[in-house]
Amino acid sequence: MANLPETRRVLVPAQASTPRAALTVRRVYFRWLSALAVACGAIMIFFPFFWMAITSLKTAPEIQRVPLQITPDHWLNLTNYFEVFKREPFMRYLLNSAIVASIAAVSSLVVSSLAGFGFAKYHFPGRDAFFLAIVGILMVPFQSVVVPLYTWINRLGLLDTYLGIVAPDLVSVFGVFLMRQAIEMIPNDYTDAARIDGCGELRIFFQVILPSVKPAMATLLIIKFMWNWNEFFWPLVVINSPKMKVVTMGLMSFTNMYFIEYNLLTAAAVISILPILLIFLTLQRWVVQAVVMSGLKG
Amino acid sequence: MHQWIRIVFPKSYMDCQRRAGFLFVLPALLFFGSVFLLPLAQSVMYSFYRIAPGGASQFVGLRLYEKVLTDSTFWVAIRNTVQLLLMSVPTTVICALAVALGLNRIASLKWRNVWAAMYFLPFSTSLVAAALIWQWIYDPTYGFLNYALSFVGIPPQKWLQSLFQVRPAIAAVNVWFRIGFDTMIFLAALQSIPEEYYEAASIDGANPVRQLRHITLPLLNPQILMVCILELIFNFKIFDQVYATTQGGPASASQTVIMLLYDTAFKYFRFGDASVMAVFVFITLLVVTLLQWRIFRKPVEY
Repeated sequence: MANLPETRRVLVPAQASTPRAALTVRRVYFRWLSALAVACGAIMIFFPFFWMAITSLKTAPEIQRVPLQITPDHWLNLTNYFEVFKREPFMRYLLNSAIVASIAAVSSLVVSSLAGFGFAKYHFPGRDAFFLAIVGILMVPFQSVVVPLYTWINRLGLLDTYLGIVAPDLVSVFGVFLMRQAIEMIPNDYTDAARIDGCGELRIFFQVILPSVKPAMATLLIIKFMWNWNEFFWPLVVINSPKMKVVTMGLMSFTNMYFIEYNLLTAAAVISILPILLIFLTLQRWVVQAVVMSGLKG
Repeated sequence: MHQWIRIVFPKSYMDCQRRAGFLFVLPALLFFGSVFLLPLAQSVMYSFYRIAPGGASQFVGLRLYEKVLTDSTFWVAIRNTVQLLLMSVPTTVICALAVALGLNRIASLKWRNVWAAMYFLPFSTSLVAAALIWQWIYDPTYGFLNYALSFVGIPPQKWLQSLFQVRPAIAAVNVWFRIGFDTMIFLAALQSIPEEYYEAASIDGANPVRQLRHITLPLLNPQILMVCILELIFNFKIFDQVYATTQGGPASASQTVIMLLYDTAFKYFRFGDASVMAVFVFITLLVVTLLQWRIFRKPVEY
């Protein structure tokens, strides 16, 4: 007890004011220091984005200057962007990604909300076991099932088709989990009242349940779209023809083992990131909520 | 069984309702069954068969396991993956925790959101784009990193082209990519801790360090565990970054398990060997996750 820190006494209100003032100064100092550290870290995290954008505005000779020059000669030099669309059918890649991600998001929303409703509001035999089995699927890495999936898709003639690309992403465990969580919050009184009024089960789903879980639905749509837009492994496996490539694979067309034109590559990267970035920045609240949900379930 | 018959041939209103509930769940069950459980079983099956290019298959018992598990390239991939894991998982979790604590101290809600959004930004990009941008920053001749280091007097490094720096360099990309995700989870948990705990502790004379040690960390235990497991899985499955940049090189110094699996299956079309790796990956992740869960999960008393 002898060498308890000074702070202990200071915090008791009846103490003399000088140490407390010292403490407050120290605390304010510390607060500023930690805020500064957080800000520096954030800027470091942000830097690659900045560097990407800057490089995409430079010409090929500019990026190979020694010593390195940070700023581009012309801030409005967009030739790299035009060149990206000229070299590769990048519009097509963007369109493919948009189609695939939209199908995945919508189908996931439909199936997940139905399943979430079933799991949250009904007592059929084996309900909890089924739910546990679905959550258990989180433990199965996609790479462990990719070979048989590929043979199936091949046998069904779905290689190089949109359906083949989205097939494994049509529903996600996260979606089922999220919708069940959200629907569970709705009081049973609502559904009971609807039943007494003569509502069928499907009508309850559409008119009572869905309108009350709009935030969860938005969250699921956004996060699923983001995930599938950024998907790389499975498209790489099922896509062969250039016109079916998604945008992540399109980026790879600008790389080459020996020589990479980084000015074009970064421009392509900006184009590929931009749609998601816009969605993310405008709807950030929902995305963060989805992440927190996925982490808090434990 | 009796219950199921009653669901198929409902006798009462309650039975009808149960049937409706089951039908709502059915599409999801069918999907997960056909896209995950069935292929998983098939993966296990393939790993016992030698499949000839023509399609004929022959049961070979554990022969493929013996072949893959005694192959040195497989163990090199395992070693690389584990090294990557050991570098990036603790770094990510500790940094994310520190950032979350720092963000939580920022009083201005506006600024807190701005900084948090910046940490979270990498999460919205694809790993391919992220890895390629980093490859440009790491570029030995024209890259920004060597340029920045030259001011501190460090000579140009080869980064992704060096046998020894390639793994730390890729681990750094993983940390950069994942830190925001973990921070968000920690931050949400921190904000749910009641302020009274800290007030009570400071009246009892606990300094900030002891508050962190005895209030914050124990209450964050479930999230820390969760994040560790998620990070472990994410980093074990590392593929996109490596495929986009080094393709496993130089001299397989960055060859990872999933890279090897991909090459074996879709470059050399040796599905049997790839299935052995798939089963290995599945079992490893399962065991590690369950172990972590058993060891570190402590009941939290509120």
